[in-house]
Amino acid sequence: MIVLPAGRLDAPSSEELKADMEGLIGEGWRKIVANMEEVDYISSSGLRVMLSTLKKLRSLGGDLKLASLRPYVRETFEIAGFTQLFKIYDGEEEAAGDFRRGG
Amino acid sequence: MAAETLLLTLIDKICVIMVAAYLITRTRRFSEVLDGRLTRENQGALILVFGGFSIFGTVSGVEIFGVIANVRDLGPMIGGLVGGPVVGLGAGLIGGVHRYLLGGFTGPACSLATVLAGFLGGAVYLLNRRRFVGVGGAVVFSVFAVSLHMLLVLLISQPYDEAVMVVRETAVPMIASNAFGMLVFAFMISNLIKERKTASERDEYLDELEKKRMELLIAREIQESFLPETVPEVLGFDLAAKSIPAKEVGGDFYDFIPVSEGKIGLVIADVSGKSVPAALFMVLARAILRATATGDPGPSEAARRANDLIAADAKSGMFVTLFYGILDPGSRTLRYVNAGHNPPAVLDGETGEIALLRTGGIAMGVMEGADMEEREVVLGEEDTVLFYTDGVIEATGGGPDQFGIERLVSLIRENDHLPAADLVEKIAAEVVAFGGDRPQFDDITLMALKGRGAG
Repeated sequence: MIVLPAGRLDAPSSEELKADMEGLIGEGWRKIVANMEEVDYISSSGLRVMLSTLKKLRSLGGDLKLASLRPYVRETFEIAGFTQLFKIYDGEEEAAGDFRRGG
Repeated sequence: MAAETLLLTLIDKICVIMVAAYLITRTRRFSEVLDGRLTRENQGALILVFGGFSIFGTVSGVEIFGVIANVRDLGPMIGGLVGGPVVGLGAGLIGGVHRYLLGGFTGPACSLATVLAGFLGGAVYLLNRRRFVGVGGAVVFSVFAVSLHMLLVLLISQPYDEAVMVVRETAVPMIASNAFGMLVFAFMISNLIKERKTASERDEYLDELEKKRMELLIAREIQESFLPETVPEVLGFDLAAKSIPAKEVGGDFYDFIPVSEGKIGLVIADVSGKSVPAALFMVLARAILRATATGDPGPSEAARRANDLIAADAKSGMFVTLFYGILDPGSRTLRYVNAGHNPPAVLDGETGEIALLRTGGIAMGVMEGADMEEREVVLGEEDTVLFYTDGVIEATGGGPDQFGIERLVSLIRENDHLPAADLVEKIAAEVVAFGGDRPQFDDITLMALKGRGAG
């Protein structure tokens, strides 16, 4: 499953993303790629949603992979040290391909 | 009676009914009954009012084409419809007994009908689950009850022939005038119910707002009460800090920890989330770091242990980005770990170069057992270190731009001559001004450390 959030991931929009992610997990999705090419800003609330989704998916044997991060968003992930935690790919195809290979 | 006079008389009676309806429905007791508070006092008051209204109905009967149409049944019916069987019956008895005492061959039937109308109104109230039945239902009920009145006259009154005549002449005007009176009353009552519903919804909304406001206040108070009240004196350095919480506080904090003789721990941190949860998490993180830092095990060890404790406590997704440095004024070194926090900027006073204090650490609470790399920087007498949170560089104004690290760096350069306290004030003012009229959406926290003594 590939999700495509867009715009600014600040406190209000992160709440929406959180609900969407929880919905997907509830439907049974375990391998999710977040294509971030349309996200131009992510706040700490956005990071929190990404983190809780990642934790939830990994506890269920799945994963959340990130693809196509813009420089500013990548830097936010880097500052928080989240690049050590998330698998980050240049594009969604690579991320999905990695899932297919069992990664 | 001439048609004109009849019309005027009718209008006269209608006006009386309307005024009575308005006055009665606006009383406190009537409102209470509408809210379902059927106390003895309220029931008694309504019995008297609607019983009185019933008597008024009898004595004000309008003569139409030689017969008298009256609205005696109206009071007890309304009493029953809004106040239940007791009110209906009570008001019906008052109006009925009064009518009975007036005598006449239809006396027993008419008085019985009035009592019955009140009682049946109460039955409708009960059947409608103790609520007023609404305008349509009330008017239909009044037609039914007055028709029953007519039927009773036919069944009971003797001689039968005269009873038939009376009913033939009065049935239509009686039913019409009671239905009209009921329409006026029911309309006012249902308006009143709507008004009260709107008012109670508005109150609920205001309560919610008030709760939210209290939450914001509490969060702010928690956060502020855990910020240091004073800045410690550090030999050979000039230190200052400032935090401006957002309306919905974002869990920023700074701290000074006396780790050992002469050495001081400097902390700046930002908890994820907002309001009360963020403020409480801030208190937790601050206390844990204070505990692990005591005895000076070194920044790396203190941060590693703090991270494990916070991670064990962090509910899904809660985390805190935190910079922790130990300043040794003797050797002029700052040993630090950066757990996912915005890297503090060091301005070299001699070269004008800026260095960012990163260690690649991960935010605390995210990963148990995370390694916390430690680094060291030596601070010259001309150097300035500025610690800040994301509320500073992510502040937005009227345009699409954020305040940004470049603006911050040039501000540090331009104001390098200022003492630490003035520097944080200056930068805070610039960030707030950059935000313009837009509400500050995250806490703004700044700490400045200058390499030369405050004097």
